Amino acid sequence: MTTADISGTAEQAQATAPLVGRPDVNRKRMARLGWAFSAPALIVVAAVTIFPIVYSVVMSLSNVTVTGSGISLNGFTTSNYSLVFQNSTWHYALAFTIIYTFITVFVELVIGTMIALVLQRLTAGRGWMMALLLLPWSMITVINAELWLYIYNGVYGVADYLLNAVGLGHPNILGTQYPAIVALMIADIWKTTPFVAIIVLAGLVMLPGDIYEAAEVDGSSGWSTFWRITVPLLRPTLALAVLFRVLQAFGLFDLPYVMTNGGPGTATTSLAILGYKALFQNLDFGTGSAVAVTTALLVLIGCLVSLRAFKVQVGKEGN
Amino acid sequence: MGNRKRTGWHRVINGVNISGFFVVLFIVLPLYWLVITSFRNPADLGSVQFWPNPWSGANYSQAFVQYDFGQYFVNSLIVTLSATALVLVFGTMAGYALGRLPMRGKFTLMVTLLMISLFPEIAVIAPLYTLLKDLGWLDSYQGLIIPYTAFFLPFAIWILRNYMLGIPKEMEETSRIDGAGPIRTVWSIILPMALPGVFTAGIFTFTAAWTEFLMALTFNISLKTIPVGIATFGTPTEVPFGTIFAASVVAVFPIGILVFIFRKFVISGLTSGAVKG
Repeated sequence: MTTADISGTAEQAQATAPLVGRPDVNRKRMARLGWAFSAPALIVVAAVTIFPIVYSVVMSLSNVTVTGSGISLNGFTTSNYSLVFQNSTWHYALAFTIIYTFITVFVELVIGTMIALVLQRLTAGRGWMMALLLLPWSMITVINAELWLYIYNGVYGVADYLLNAVGLGHPNILGTQYPAIVALMIADIWKTTPFVAIIVLAGLVMLPGDIYEAAEVDGSSGWSTFWRITVPLLRPTLALAVLFRVLQAFGLFDLPYVMTNGGPGTATTSLAILGYKALFQNLDFGTGSAVAVTTALLVLIGCLVSLRAFKVQVGKEGN
Repeated sequence: MGNRKRTGWHRVINGVNISGFFVVLFIVLPLYWLVITSFRNPADLGSVQFWPNPWSGANYSQAFVQYDFGQYFVNSLIVTLSATALVLVFGTMAGYALGRLPMRGKFTLMVTLLMISLFPEIAVIAPLYTLLKDLGWLDSYQGLIIPYTAFFLPFAIWILRNYMLGIPKEMEETSRIDGAGPIRTVWSIILPMALPGVFTAGIFTFTAAWTEFLMALTFNISLKTIPVGIATFGTPTEVPFGTIFAASVVAVFPIGILVFIFRKFVISGLTSGAVKG
């Protein structure tokens, strides 16, 4: 840049906004640097997530044939979707996934809040308790599944032993529809509740203390303080935890795959199990993709409905 | 806060307290069951025993000798460590850019990334499978490392960006005035200050990769990771629980230690709005 340029831009800048000029050039350079820094991450994410999602949509709308060397797409069709939408197993899997998600998340929230309230009151050993809570969270889900499989075993499982001890005989827990569903839920709740507890605890710790003193002066009882002050103040924390858990639980796969393989019959067939079986057991890439895409679409709708929550979450930390 | 001030609270929590005790039991007992079963004699697992009698290491030797658990462990370690390293390098750069540099549309980009991190794996598994097959990358380390990197990056970027936002602006300006280039600024000024965030993102990525099942199951038939290995122990008619639990104790060990040592970071990651299980 020559001196003439500098004085020229400086004069113009002076007329509009006194501080624009070099910072503006700098800003552009920094933005370019920003894109350069983000590029590797964005390329990898796009290549491995966004591109395959698009390709899944294409497959779900094509006549797909599986050949020895791979798959080939022969023309456009909507038959995959009409097949899926008319399929009673899909109806069941959809209902199962939704109900399973809502019940487990609800129970996790209730028990998680109870644990958090207890932990908040602990004066000693809180660090140890937190570490203990992290153990189920960090556990491989397959191990969790095997562990509960063993507990529910009809011959030497401890659940069977206890049920028999209280006079319920030897029910075939994982071989009967509703007991199998409840058994899966218990295993899921065991693994995920501690995680909810930690989030709730973090929310509790950040609540202002003086508001409770004021409530006590006003003669508010424990219950009403909890419902009128703690719960409303915690709501943003809880809402976000619930949102994330619900969207995540929608991909339910590991637990039923290992414990029941979707059975007995189709009793514990989630959308992901159904999609996986269609894709890799029946090698039906057309309908399998249709199941996968509809599942993803439901998650996307969930995301868009709660877009405001996401935006608030991003904005809260930024700007 | 004194105890007196919480008399109102007291009642609520006390009511919950007793159930709280049972909840702790609910967490501990299954883990206890896992550990004692792994030390029982594999020949007499056919009964309920609350204490191993006698203690036996046979399940452990079986996991490593009869089943190839040592190899699974190494596979898991290679895949997990590589993916975590890649995620941290790319994620730190992107987190810095999205947190501190004036990019247009970074807000939308952040929201999109957050949503991608919640997308179900089943949506991408079929195209990735055919892609990896075309590349000849089924049953390879990179066939898992690259998908893991991509899948766990959005969440790591999210954690790192939030940490980057908290670093005072003056730090960079001072460095710039001293004549340091952007890369040196990031390396010697920003990175040391963002280290807790890097730890947090690292633990989360490690845990996610160590426990991932669906992609490992689909892409790698012979090159098994721990979750796939454990899920396929035994025969369709006989599940060797003792061996499975011995392997499980070994698999839980590294991550348990990691999480225990870095529990402060894990908890801060879980609570800084970074909510993912």
